[in-house]
Amino acid sequence: MSIRHGLLALLERGPRYGSQLRTEFESRTGSTWPLNVGQVYTTLNRLERDGMVAQGGEDTAGHTLYTITDSGRAELRTWFEKPVDRTSPARDELAIKLAMAVGAPGVDIRNVIQSQRRHTVKAMQDYTRLKAQALLAVEGGGARERDDVAWLLVLEQLIFQTEAEARWLDHCESRLIRLSATAATAGTEASSGPSSSSAPTVSAAPNVPTAPRTSAS
Amino acid sequence: MSTQQPVLQLQNLTRVHGAGATEVHALRGIDLAVYPGELVAVMGPSGSGKSTLLTIAGGLDTPSSGRVIVEDTDITAASVKELAALRRRSVGYVFQDYNLIPALTAAENVALPRELDGTSARKARVEATAALEEMGLGHLADRFPDEMSGGQQQRVAIARALVGDRRLVLADEPTGALDSETGESVLALLRSRCDAGAAGVLVTHEPRFAAWADRVVFLRDGAIVDQTVRSDADSLLSGQVAEA
Amino acid sequence: MKTWFHSWRAAIRIARRDAWRSKGRSALVLAMIALPILGVSALDLTYRSSQLSPAEKLERTIGAADARFSDAQVNGVPIFQDPAGEMHTTVKDYEDEPWPSGSTDVTKAIPAGSTVLTDGSGSAKLTTAHGLLGAEVRELKASDPIARGIMTLLEGRFPEKNDEVMATSHFLESSGLSIGATLSARNFDRPYRIVGSYELPDSLTTDQVNALPGAFLAPYAKAVEKAGLPAPDLSVSYLVRKSGGFTWNTVKEINTRGVAVVSRAVLLDPPAESEVPLNQKEGFRGYETSSEASAADLASLATVVGLAMLEICLLAGPAFAVGARRSRRQLGLVGANGGARSHIRAIVLSGGLVIGVAAAVTGIVLALVLTLVLEPVLEDAMGQRFGAFDIRPLELLGIALLAVLTGLLAAVVPAFTASRQTVLASLTGRRGVRRSSRVLPVIGLVALLIGGAVALFGSMVSQQVVLVAAGSALAELGVVAMTPALVGLFGRTGRWLPLSPRLALRDAVRNRGRTAPAVAAVLAAVAGTVAVSTYMASREAQNRAGYEATLPYGVAAAFVQEEGGRDAPAVRDAVQRNFPVDVRADVARISVGKPGCAPWGGEGAGCGRYEVVVPPANECPLYASVPGGGDPAEKYTPEQRRKLVTEDWRCKESASSGMYVSDGGLLIGDASLLKVLGVDDPATEKALADGRIVAFNRTLVDGKGTIGIKQITDIAAADKASQEGRPAPGKVSTLPAYLVPGEKKSYGLQALMTPATAKAAGLSTAPLGLYVSTERLPDSEQRQKLDSDLAKLGGNVELHLEEGFVNEYGIVLLALAVFAGLVTIGAAGIATGLAQADAEADLKTLAAVGAPPRVRRTLSGFQCGVVAAMGVILGSAAGLLPAVGLRLTEERDELRYYEQNLAEGWSGDLTPPDVPIVIPWETLAGLLVAVPLGAALLAALVTRSRGALARRAAT
Repeated sequence: MSIRHGLLALLERGPRYGSQLRTEFESRTGSTWPLNVGQVYTTLNRLERDGMVAQGGEDTAGHTLYTITDSGRAELRTWFEKPVDRTSPARDELAIKLAMAVGAPGVDIRNVIQSQRRHTVKAMQDYTRLKAQALLAVEGGGARERDDVAWLLVLEQLIFQTEAEARWLDHCESRLIRLSATAATAGTEASSGPSSSSAPTVSAAPNVPTAPRTSAS
Repeated sequence: MSTQQPVLQLQNLTRVHGAGATEVHALRGIDLAVYPGELVAVMGPSGSGKSTLLTIAGGLDTPSSGRVIVEDTDITAASVKELAALRRRSVGYVFQDYNLIPALTAAENVALPRELDGTSARKARVEATAALEEMGLGHLADRFPDEMSGGQQQRVAIARALVGDRRLVLADEPTGALDSETGESVLALLRSRCDAGAAGVLVTHEPRFAAWADRVVFLRDGAIVDQTVRSDADSLLSGQVAEA
Repeated sequence: MKTWFHSWRAAIRIARRDAWRSKGRSALVLAMIALPILGVSALDLTYRSSQLSPAEKLERTIGAADARFSDAQVNGVPIFQDPAGEMHTTVKDYEDEPWPSGSTDVTKAIPAGSTVLTDGSGSAKLTTAHGLLGAEVRELKASDPIARGIMTLLEGRFPEKNDEVMATSHFLESSGLSIGATLSARNFDRPYRIVGSYELPDSLTTDQVNALPGAFLAPYAKAVEKAGLPAPDLSVSYLVRKSGGFTWNTVKEINTRGVAVVSRAVLLDPPAESEVPLNQKEGFRGYETSSEASAADLASLATVVGLAMLEICLLAGPAFAVGARRSRRQLGLVGANGGARSHIRAIVLSGGLVIGVAAAVTGIVLALVLTLVLEPVLEDAMGQRFGAFDIRPLELLGIALLAVLTGLLAAVVPAFTASRQTVLASLTGRRGVRRSSRVLPVIGLVALLIGGAVALFGSMVSQQVVLVAAGSALAELGVVAMTPALVGLFGRTGRWLPLSPRLALRDAVRNRGRTAPAVAAVLAAVAGTVAVSTYMASREAQNRAGYEATLPYGVAAAFVQEEGGRDAPAVRDAVQRNFPVDVRADVARISVGKPGCAPWGGEGAGCGRYEVVVPPANECPLYASVPGGGDPAEKYTPEQRRKLVTEDWRCKESASSGMYVSDGGLLIGDASLLKVLGVDDPATEKALADGRIVAFNRTLVDGKGTIGIKQITDIAAADKASQEGRPAPGKVSTLPAYLVPGEKKSYGLQALMTPATAKAAGLSTAPLGLYVSTERLPDSEQRQKLDSDLAKLGGNVELHLEEGFVNEYGIVLLALAVFAGLVTIGAAGIATGLAQADAEADLKTLAAVGAPPRVRRTLSGFQCGVVAAMGVILGSAAGLLPAVGLRLTEERDELRYYEQNLAEGWSGDLTPPDVPIVIPWETLAGLLVAVPLGAALLAALVTRSRGALARRAAT
């Protein structure tokens, strides 16, 4: 959905050709959302079919330029105004993994959570570092300011999303601790005492990162 | 990553509150070193010992065992007087709120540790004004705390924490009483001070703010369970952000 | 050193701004310290300004003259004088010979070529708008340049003619006359016109009239003598101006002629001690106060100042403790930023320093302004004009230091308490029972024990009141120091109390740091009050028991001795007019010589006196005069003396005791006097009517049943005879006497006869006055009216009204109780304010669990009441002890005196002295019940039910 609208938004600023659109899209989103040219042209074709863009001549180098139509503009308005749909939950690998880890023999779920948390926070640190640079750039001003601001917002979206995940991990952990404490008082000594994981584990578990989740559709 | 001497070293630190039935192990065998130019965030759930770690590092509390070394000085056995001197000269604190003495202006607040240390009022004020200017807070110099916003107060507190020769700032939830945007500005300042060579330890329970650190240490039940290492800055720009 | 200075500067800056931020509390403490400072420095300024320099003093006494010559009244024999010319004595010692007396011609001693101004003075009864006024008449040509400075002309002009006078402003005020009015004197019909008013700068309240030399006194004396009255004394001195002045040597030379000199040159440049021959004379040496006395004065002054400072410190201490508590977070931050304990102490102490300095400056500046503004009022009150406005910087600095010291001392305990807290506890604002110092109560206990022992020793062994007082003071300080521990004891009583008082008591006990100083302040004030009240009440009870009435209850007596009782009819009229008279008895006395003579003879020629003869057989052997002098009692052993005193009727004193009515207690009057004095005996009345002398004293009546009255006309011969132990020469009239049977109380009247009897015996009489019995005790208005009527007569009227025992201390006791009450309420209020500051969180919790809003009110009321109650209970206990100790000492003292008297046979009284100890229950009840109750109600009233919601703490 959003690639469609992203391209429409770019076209609103003036006619573009396919690979130019791809470059701009990536720079706007800070390469966090990689596109291939094929994806771009497929999308453009669909937009043209729906009457939202039209081919409008060539530039000096012979690239076919696309321009946005009125119905394309109307669609863009609607998209900006409409909230992002939250009715269908995104499939999240992490959630599924944690759900599977509960009760799996030989797996310390707290270690699973911690290694995921380390990874998540690490990602946040990276985003924050980028954000710090972006902030400097924005405050420094300059020609690319508009792009920098856009980039900053994207970064912050990523940061907040990651933070939500980190908080969710915190919550999972404290919930599990409380449950295991209840189980311990019920008679069976919890196998995963606090001391069992006291040694710092800095090993990088090969977990598939979930952020950013590119739900390309 | 640094071959420099650490500014702060905690070695096998433990702290037990109370005794007997009410005994609580706030810290169990903490080892941590903080280097110049490094900002370390300490995260962990409530009661994990974050604040205790910070109070011991600055000499406000004493460990039950283990050693605390600040800039080559072992402060574990220091007297109350020596600890006060340490806070005047080597360590600066930033708390969640009400960091500034209401009776003093921003500049005087910043100058306070220097004055307590015996620097003349004029010299201390010059240093304080310079410190404020350097952090872009020069316009606040003559304001009283109740004439400043919360974020401004926290930034002045950071300036005070690092005035003079002090290179170690210990911040305990410095953003706790601030909104997200203002908190960001406070952390940006802290970050820039560390980039300029200071060492910082930040206790927070907000991952978003912890993310400003070079290293995040995870504390659970008084022990360090994990920490992130600083990634190479180049990898961030290569577009491979998604990969760890 | 430098380091220390810089960090103190930072501390002072914080303290100064803090003081400014909490203006109310600062103002309270400032006022507490500044008020006494204001008083003391105003006193110092007034005292120093009223102290005159020698030059100023000279200007007021001798004007612009170089010296004042005056007659030493020693008949011109050589004298020694002191440099100031205030004291002098004859060069020769006259041990057994009569002292030379008589005047000399001063003018002969005045060196030739001097300018002289006479300065004469005498007294006269002057007519006023209301009646008569006795005043001094001074004959001095005040307009002369030599006299400049002695009299300050206020209005009008100086007298220029012989019939012109000017008067002091005080005379004009009390006489009701004004400039332009006519003035004359009694017995002297020459009128004088008042042309001006003046004042004597050294004595503003003097009634004085100034006339030209020779214009008044000489003709007045003549006129008075013509009227048959003795002429008033006239003293003349001479103001002398001579180039070069009078040196000490010249003065000594003039002294040889019996003339005393006040010399400007000598006073401005006094001679060395060794050059003053007077110092070599016995009894004229070391006139200055002994160093021992001044040391005692100094010690008592130091004690008073010390106790006042202690009281102020105790009152102000909690205020600083509140300040330290309120800014705990701030102090914690200073700690986190490297403030050592010494820095924290410095900040809190700086609070005291700042307030102390501010109080010193405020107090002294206000004192300066007030003294300057109120200078005329102060001068009037002191009856003396200031010299130069005298500011002694060193003394004011000392007073200022006292203020600063008080401020610092008040902040000491809070400073140490604040610095003892860990930085962490300050930052987190954790509350808890702060363990109070254990050293202080121990010191207190030691002081209490030592002080108690000293007081006990003082009262039991040494009878030294100073020891008792010192011991009590020490013990009391000990109790003050033990207050924190004692407050702790109160906590145990709280278990069964309802919520609010229980909360208040627990809170007070848990926070001894703030409760204790307030309780101690109350304790100190109450202890002092209770001690003084108990002592005074006991004294009063003793006085009441020992009171002896001079007249029967409700009886008044008025006597006029002057001028042969000329004003007696007027006095009788005045009494009759103003008092609710029941029975009036006019009395007269026997007069010998001219009618205008004073009863004791006097110096005027032709005056005599009389004696009631005591027959030699009736004289008590202990007191009978022995030829050649000496103490007759020494011949007897103590046993004999005791026997005489207790058994011999001649030695009983009761008959001759009472008020003095006349020589020998002899009065002329009729039976109404017997009635007034309550002598109800028909036989006596009959004897009186029969022309006999009624005697109340057996010793007056000789074996033949007569009483002899001796008229002495030659007083000089009589004095000589009595010096030599011989009876005085004189004509004795013998009258038949009637001795009143039984021992009737006659209040000083020993013998009475009717005017007819006196006349028949050839005795002349002079009216004396009257006795009256009243229907009811005259009220204060009637008494004031009589006083003013008598004053208009311008003479000396002896008036006595028997009102029974009057308690003199009542008002003092009340004032003390009120003072203690105010201190208690003040201290309790401060402590409550402190508690409120602390209890904000508790109150929020209470409100959260559903306590009604009035809980805040009741809680603060109880907090205040708890502090007040603890203070007054401890204070009453601590105050009773020294009072009882002091009374016990006095009892021992009196017992010892009594036993000694008894052993030596001086006293016939066999009942030992009674020294009661009376506890002033009214005062005590007021302090114990009313004051805490009042304090609690007051606190409850002024507390708002709803506190400022969610006020952020710790800023």
